[in-house]
Amino acid sequence: MATLTEAATTRRSARRVRRPRVRAAPYLFVAPFILVFAAFSAYPIFFALQLSFTNWHGAGALEIIGFANYRYLLTSPDFWQSMATSGVLWLLVVPAQVLLALTIAVALRKARFRGLFSAALIAPFVTPLVAMAQVWIILFDQDFGAVNHGLSSIGLPTIGWLTTSAGAKVTVALLVLWRTTGYAVILLMAGLSTIPADVYEAARIDGAGAWQQFWSITVPLVTRTLSFVVVIGTLTVFQLFAEPYVVTGGGPFNATRTAGLYLYKHITNSDLGLGAANSMLLVVMVLALSLASIRLLRSREDS
Amino acid sequence: MKLGAAGRYGLLTLAGVVSLAPLLWMMISSFKPGGAIISSPFSFDPGQLTLTNFRSMLDTIPIGTGFRNTAIVVVIKGALTMIFCPMAGFAFAKYAFPGKRLLFATVLTTLMLPTLVLLIPLLLEMSQLGWVSTFQALILPGAIDAFGVFWMRQVIMAIPDELLDAARVDGAGELRIFASIVVPVIRPGLAALGVLTFINIYNDFVWPVVAVNDEQHQTLQVMLSALAQNIRSGQLGADWTSVWGQLLAASTVAAIPVLIVFVVLQRHLIKGVMAGSLKG
Repeated sequence: MATLTEAATTRRSARRVRRPRVRAAPYLFVAPFILVFAAFSAYPIFFALQLSFTNWHGAGALEIIGFANYRYLLTSPDFWQSMATSGVLWLLVVPAQVLLALTIAVALRKARFRGLFSAALIAPFVTPLVAMAQVWIILFDQDFGAVNHGLSSIGLPTIGWLTTSAGAKVTVALLVLWRTTGYAVILLMAGLSTIPADVYEAARIDGAGAWQQFWSITVPLVTRTLSFVVVIGTLTVFQLFAEPYVVTGGGPFNATRTAGLYLYKHITNSDLGLGAANSMLLVVMVLALSLASIRLLRSREDS
Repeated sequence: MKLGAAGRYGLLTLAGVVSLAPLLWMMISSFKPGGAIISSPFSFDPGQLTLTNFRSMLDTIPIGTGFRNTAIVVVIKGALTMIFCPMAGFAFAKYAFPGKRLLFATVLTTLMLPTLVLLIPLLLEMSQLGWVSTFQALILPGAIDAFGVFWMRQVIMAIPDELLDAARVDGAGELRIFASIVVPVIRPGLAALGVLTFINIYNDFVWPVVAVNDEQHQTLQVMLSALAQNIRSGQLGADWTSVWGQLLAASTVAAIPVLIVFVVLQRHLIKGVMAGSLKG
């Protein structure tokens, strides 16, 4: 009898002690994240949305001008040029990256010294971008740079890497590729490591060649990781700022003025309402692109 | 894909060399006399190496201040991230509470939110708070990391509930459970998050360049970019032989600390990157 009452009391008190604490606890644990998020992400986003309907230049009262900023941007050649520049950089970077990273990851899968190779491949991702941008400026200088030096020493014509529109885009794209491909390789390695070896074994017994194994086992089984790589690449390219900012300053003749740099121009011009509208368009763009890449690759996975 | 051993190692070696060559070139060239960087970019003559570039760089930028500022930001912001992420991850992994789905959806949306979008409103917020060119501005807005929360949640989900319940029966409070059971168990994951966080904060450029406009609070990366811009606009003279050497010396100095951390802790980093894709 005594034990029964005791047990009941313990159970009740355990419940009494546990319940209120457990109820408050999760909120206390997420509170710092939520507070910082609310103050420095959510509030600014709503503020930007509000600003995007004004012609605010940084001082005075907010004057609502409706959709004028959006109308201006969507009919502005400069805005579309910046989007097109980001699009061209996407074409130069993402397909090459997927191809390179997948090839390297497959080679790495069965190789020895995997740790060593992985470390070498991811080193560019770790090095400060601003430092490497300086190196790029110096290596790709038209007259004195090491790249043209190398080209002419083997009898090839030199290239205006930073002085021509196409050259500047390629130079920026090469920097992005160089810095981020190793990261993609490591992501793909993680994806590949989840494929059991006996799947390949079975295919080999059925007489599948190496190419066939690659296309019908490796590629389909890493589509999830591949889509992740594409999404990350897309986000990177459409948010590209520091690379063109430091290497080309957006030039020559705005050839490398990406969506991000065009946005930054509104800040330096104090066109804050317009800049906010541009930000909103960029959010929509980036979300749409991410969702589209996920959708596209998922439908391939299903078929 | 028939590669064969020779092809496989050939490819990997080529990829490795391409990855490391620009870094090595930067470091070696920073010790070369300015003229040699231009006239013989691929040569290496140990007898020629000099510290001239580093000395003239010290005269041009207050690199000590840059290091101090970067250290302050890295330590405080890094510490906050490393505390806040596992806390939030713990709540999402181990509790059921009203609003959980909505809050977690918020975390996931933050993952996709372009940093650039926040640039203008955040800058205005800083000026309203009177925080432009302060350490608060550099530290607080980035003191959380949605990827970190997401990932810590994955790591903490693997901890068996029985372990936590046993501690509760023994009378441990929730905070106690977090501090003395969860944190020790997730230490490897936390270490990887630490390396990633250090690298991200140390290399951060976009926000510091916007939020700070005095030299007193400039981080190393911003200082380096400002130096390059002064050089390009001709403020330091147009003698390429001397300015390129300086620029490479400053770049090397800015890269060395993060490369040392990387070499020592790269296992953790690679594990951290892999965790990003494994269980999506």
